[in-house]
Amino acid sequence: MKIYLDNAATTVPDPRVIKAMDAFLGKRVGNASSLHSVGFQAAVAVEQAREIIAGRIHARPEEIYFTSGGTESNNWAIKGIAFTRGRKKGHIIVSEIEHPSVLEPVRWLEKQGFRVSYVGVDREGIVSVGDVRKAMTAKTFLVSIMHANNEIGTLQPVSEIGRLCREERVFFHTDACQSFTKENIDVRCDSLDLVTLSSHKIHGPRGVGVLYIRGGVKIEPMMHGGKQEYGKRAGTYNTEAIVGFSKAVEIASVGDAVKVARLRDYFIGKIEAKIEDVVLYGSRHKRLCHIVNFAFKDVEGKPLAALLNKKGIFISTGSACSANSLEPSHVVLALQMSAASAHGAVRISLSKWTTKKEIDRAVASFQRTVDHLRKLKR
Amino acid sequence: MKGPVEVLDLTGVPCPANSARILLKLAQRAGDTLLDIILDDGEPMENVPASLEDEGHKIVARERKGKQWKLRIQKSL
Repeated sequence: MKIYLDNAATTVPDPRVIKAMDAFLGKRVGNASSLHSVGFQAAVAVEQAREIIAGRIHARPEEIYFTSGGTESNNWAIKGIAFTRGRKKGHIIVSEIEHPSVLEPVRWLEKQGFRVSYVGVDREGIVSVGDVRKAMTAKTFLVSIMHANNEIGTLQPVSEIGRLCREERVFFHTDACQSFTKENIDVRCDSLDLVTLSSHKIHGPRGVGVLYIRGGVKIEPMMHGGKQEYGKRAGTYNTEAIVGFSKAVEIASVGDAVKVARLRDYFIGKIEAKIEDVVLYGSRHKRLCHIVNFAFKDVEGKPLAALLNKKGIFISTGSACSANSLEPSHVVLALQMSAASAHGAVRISLSKWTTKKEIDRAVASFQRTVDHLRKLKR
Repeated sequence: MKGPVEVLDLTGVPCPANSARILLKLAQRAGDTLLDIILDDGEPMENVPASLEDEGHKIVARERKGKQWKLRIQKSL
């Protein structure tokens, strides 16, 4: 029995998503930018998808821009706003626990003359609104704080940070790849200017994402070429992926998130009851429904994940984008934990299809494997 | 008496996304409904009326307002 518990890395597409996409793959061939009737069918599908996704975050359809995924959206949000500054450059604020697709663009911008402040987090991984306020200067033009962390699942106070940014007339971007459809996102109530969304985290296809750009926000394009996406993001529409993404959004329900959260709590309770000397990273209360992050004393994360892999249980050590790195997780390090502790972190992420039976089997495997590794070490 | 006619502002929305948005809006409405749309002059005005008529909808009024047009569309039954 194989148990997939790495749904924060990517999810299995829902069969209804595949069916919706199949209607376009090889059957409806038109380019969504063509003016003839074959292309027009694709254009209607793209616009329908735009409306569905816009509705889910309380945005207007024309504020939704399709991209190739979360990494492109994060890069575009940050560099696209920075490039409007011209020679003025200026100051950006991010948290220390952002995804690499936020951290690397701002590090690159630092080399181009921008100044960047990296605000820390508390032991639960929560950014302080006060720290963001303190970091602001007269030159701050952008704050980018993720909606929820991809490694430890901690939810951030985006609404409060959004309000602060709006008061200070600073753009606010949030990476909501992990939280989209699991937590309510209201771009108006939360004062969001730019939001990154991803399809493959919600049982949609890989290779498609969205950048929400609030109407009136000026941003430089990253992809130059055709006039797609109001001239702001060139490239032929990936119609079937866009259709699949919107289908995944339609399917995703609050009920699923509630069910997954119950299973998450069951899993945490079982692990803490059955295994001694275990630390749960992140917040117990302000946590995404599907992400759990543990460290077991005297156990390294990589061998633990490797041994579980042999038993058909698939988890990860940190984000999928840095899973091959030998460096300890920058997220766990930011929780003011030791490097040894950060090396021990493993991420377990559930989905709407995870069952109690799978969790029970996984817990038993964790118990045996942790015990085995500790005996080798002690 | 029927309520006010809904307005769909398609300022800045290029072809064929503008036509697609109108068709989607009409599809959500009951038969014999009216919809006002705001369109940019130029390519949108050249393409949108024809594509709507191809789908059987009627343009019952058109009014120029500077560089934009206001069109009243009657949904096909």
